[in-house]
Amino acid sequence: MPHEELRESVPVLTFPRQTLVSLLVFAVAWEALSHLAPYLGIPPFAIPSFARIARSLTPIDVAVTLARVIAALLVSFVLGLALAMAMYRSSSLDKYLHPMIRLLMAVPVVSWILFAVLWFPGVEFRIGFVLVVVCGPVFLIDTLDAMHGVPRELRHMMQSFRPTTWQYFLKLMLPAIVPTIFTSWKVNISLAIRVVTIAELVGAVTGIGHQLSVAQELFSVADVFAWTLVLVALLFLLEAMVARAEARVLRWRA
Amino acid sequence: MSGPPPIEVRGLRKVFRQTTTGQSVVAIDHLDLAIAPREVVAIVGQTGCGKSTFFDLMIGLEAPSEGLIHIGDKSPHADFDFFRGRIATVFQQDRLLPWRSALDNARLPLELIGLPEKEQRERALTWLKRLGLGQFTNAYPHELSGGMRQRVAIARAFAVEPDILLADEAFGHLDEVTAAELRETFLELARECGSTAILITHQLEEAISVGDRIVVFGQSAKLLADIHVAHWPKSKYKLLREVIQSTLQSNHPDPRLKDPGTKPKRKKKR
Repeated sequence: MPHEELRESVPVLTFPRQTLVSLLVFAVAWEALSHLAPYLGIPPFAIPSFARIARSLTPIDVAVTLARVIAALLVSFVLGLALAMAMYRSSSLDKYLHPMIRLLMAVPVVSWILFAVLWFPGVEFRIGFVLVVVCGPVFLIDTLDAMHGVPRELRHMMQSFRPTTWQYFLKLMLPAIVPTIFTSWKVNISLAIRVVTIAELVGAVTGIGHQLSVAQELFSVADVFAWTLVLVALLFLLEAMVARAEARVLRWRA
Repeated sequence: MSGPPPIEVRGLRKVFRQTTTGQSVVAIDHLDLAIAPREVVAIVGQTGCGKSTFFDLMIGLEAPSEGLIHIGDKSPHADFDFFRGRIATVFQQDRLLPWRSALDNARLPLELIGLPEKEQRERALTWLKRLGLGQFTNAYPHELSGGMRQRVAIARAFAVEPDILLADEAFGHLDEVTAAELRETFLELARECGSTAILITHQLEEAISVGDRIVVFGQSAKLLADIHVAHWPKSKYKLLREVIQSTLQSNHPDPRLKDPGTKPKRKKKR
């Protein structure tokens, strides 16, 4: 085949080293500033050192918040994807549910928290409810739009081989929307981290939100800084995990 | 081994309603056609004559507005699932799934018919090797050239060893050398598999070089000519080309079609 040449292979993505470097630079600058703060006229609590931050932290609260976020995101994803598949299959179901989904998305997070407090007695259920009701519709709308965006040529090809409904979704739709699913996860991680903190402020006795509430009551700015940094670190960690999975799963992309 | 069933198209009509204007458009108007088992039929026609609609009806993705298509005694639309693994298609673009390697693309229809995984891989590999892609089984579509991708698409179609093979402008977008090479391979494999092959094309050279028969569609898939290529000696292929062209241009059968220049060979009665 002299006239047909193999296209150049795309290298497999590696861990983003630049991200690590920039985070490290930020951490070093922060630590240096925390020591220089008194000489610069900045109050010491404004830029607490990592040692001070570590003293404020209780690992159990970090683990609880992380568990809540991950569990709620998984539930939201499964529900969102299942509903999106049903709505893709049935245009009448789509027509009925779409306005309701838009309605859910228009309700502010604070209102959901108040509803949750009024409707449900259990703290865990309240937090889970708020997270799912906020993140679920995002997964649903994103995946549904992505399904509608699968090229007609590929749908046509797949149908010509006569798959069952399940095969159609499993072999074509799901793999085709994987890039959107990853984007949706990245958006929702950031959303969930912010929402869980607010949800934990109300009634929870564990978690980072609760610790922030305690810090506020004690007027401990250092603790607020510490827990905020933990939240940011959690967000970066989860996003890095998703980015890593994305690079591995989407290695077929040019 | 039972061969592929005959294809019968009777009084076929397909009408579409335009979404924007609400007007009805007749894509196919009372088409009658019979295709014998293992025949290789090339369908030619101008753009918009209903070739692709006929293709979709043959696959079973569209239902006839009137009339029928029968493959054996079954309809590709009404008995959709029956034809899983029995009808395979090659499209103009390769339509490979970009997230699957060449091997995984080739075994897609085998997965759909529920073959054991080991057999899927073995069969897909065999077909890829036959199409000269043994070295590239793990390559993703974006790592392959256009011709190689179309080879994978052909391997995907042949992997199920279908009764009916449908190709819609399958070689039209490739360069001449690659297209001729692939056309030859396609034909060889179709004959070897014993499949009935229907090739839709707008290229007359392709139709003449590939088809046992050339079916010429006018507007609304009106059957303008049904030419048995074997009746035409190779020395008159240039004339045949002219005749088909004039038929297409005038939308009426050219009178020269009645005199192919040679009589069909008949077996002597004993």
